[in-house]
Amino acid sequence: MTTQDPGKLMAKADKLTKLSFTRWNADWKNATALYEQAAVGYRFKKENEKAKEAFEKASKGQEMISSPWDAAKHMESAASLAKELGHWNEVSDFYRKASELYRECGRSQPASDALGKGASALEDTNPDEAVRLYIDACEILEEDGKEQMAFDLYRAATSTYVKLERYTDAATLLLRWGVAADKCNAVNSQCKAYLSAIIIYLYMHDFQQAQKCYNDCSQVGAFLSSDQGRCARKLLSAYEEGDIEEIKRLAQPSPITHLDHVIIKLARKLPTGDLKELEKEEDKETLDENDLT
Amino acid sequence: MSVIDILTRVDVICKKYEKYDVDKLNADNVSGDDAFARLYASVDSDIESALQKAEAASSEKNRAAVVALNAEIRRTKARLLEEIPKLQRLAVKKVKGLSKEELATRSDLVSALPDRIQSIPDGSSTGAKTGGWTASGSRTGIRFDTTSDGRFDSEYFQQTEESNQFRQEYEMRKMKQDQGLDVISEGLDTLKNMAHDMNEELDRQVPLMDEIDSKVDKATSDLKHTNVRLKQTVTQLRSSRNFCIDIILLCIILGIAAYLYNVLKK
Repeated sequence: MTTQDPGKLMAKADKLTKLSFTRWNADWKNATALYEQAAVGYRFKKENEKAKEAFEKASKGQEMISSPWDAAKHMESAASLAKELGHWNEVSDFYRKASELYRECGRSQPASDALGKGASALEDTNPDEAVRLYIDACEILEEDGKEQMAFDLYRAATSTYVKLERYTDAATLLLRWGVAADKCNAVNSQCKAYLSAIIIYLYMHDFQQAQKCYNDCSQVGAFLSSDQGRCARKLLSAYEEGDIEEIKRLAQPSPITHLDHVIIKLARKLPTGDLKELEKEEDKETLDENDLT
Repeated sequence: MSVIDILTRVDVICKKYEKYDVDKLNADNVSGDDAFARLYASVDSDIESALQKAEAASSEKNRAAVVALNAEIRRTKARLLEEIPKLQRLAVKKVKGLSKEELATRSDLVSALPDRIQSIPDGSSTGAKTGGWTASGSRTGIRFDTTSDGRFDSEYFQQTEESNQFRQEYEMRKMKQDQGLDVISEGLDTLKNMAHDMNEELDRQVPLMDEIDSKVDKATSDLKHTNVRLKQTVTQLRSSRNFCIDIILLCIILGIAAYLYNVLKK
């Protein structure tokens, strides 16, 4: 069987599925089997384009005989071949389709895995789409209550955002990561996510946001009394005093070194911009404190 | 004479000559006439009550109550800070019966008041909770010697060369110790982080293991059923009766073959 020419197999399978006078029902079962063999044959011969088509048709066949699991698997193979061929929009389409089929089976983990694979394939070429895929994958897992698995996805999505220099989005995503970590009692990850968000705000030279973010996160008791919370406090007070040396000194040791390497790079580049501006804003605030309310 | 006798005697003498005690009389009068002393006393008592409130706030669990207490403390602080200029003016005024030294001490007292007032913890300097700061303070302030260095009075202590050298060596060793402790602390931090991450990873894998467990249980039970059915089928096929019939027929065929072979050979 494997010695048969995949082209012939494809032709045979196509004949089985095409409706004509003599054939009233498409014989999907046999056709699917033939398509699969053809696809494997093509892949062996490294004819990626034809292999991809064969996998697509095999997947459609599996759908027809209502076995979404196999259909999804074939879709994924087709998507990986499309990635090698460089058809990026096809990659994202295929992976999304595969993920939907997995969700039909009721298996959320492979669904999000498929989206994650698609996102990592698209990171270099189409980062916006990649980020969308990552976020969809995280949502699938969160719906199913499996937030633990989403951490890696959040991490990858954050690093993509930082590469794109969309820092507000990155910070928002980090706060979402904090919420997910909170739900599964992963205190360490939660504190790290909050500290990373504060560092990103400081890197964007947005001190007010950083301060607000810190105040919000302090509502969570775990963050306040953790190493990360202490480091954030010291960082913000160093910013208030405009002490560049102190900021540089704080960025060196842990717990910043335990964060993601992308965030460490940002932290090393602190402080950005002119600290004198921040001091001027601070004076206004101190006047308000003396005002009794 | 024993000490107790001396003490009783001293008490009796003091009582006898109390009317000649100018200072005490002044103190009794002062609290009535002197505005400065009155104001100072009231400010003092306010500071005390504010400190008590601060203590209550730090031990209070209900966050709303903490916020309310902190707000009250802040109000008190601001009010007291306003009264300080008044106190300063009163301190400079000359009151009869007061010596020059007392005036000087009064202005010192007044200047020390603002610091005391500011140091009342009201939760605004440390973000409404002081737990983190005190913890960090105690962590970084480990001291092994109780005396602060350099407080040796030159009158009572003369430095010889030996003692100088000794002190230098002591300082060097202390520095090296500090460096070593820094390295250890860094290592411990890394270990702590790794341990936390491992903890989370294990938490993540627990439900996966449960799933694996149940799936494998299902697989083993399926396998057991299949095995039993297989055994039944095989015993049916290979029951002894069929087996004997097979052997007998085989012997008969062999016998016929041997007979034919003999016949043909002849």
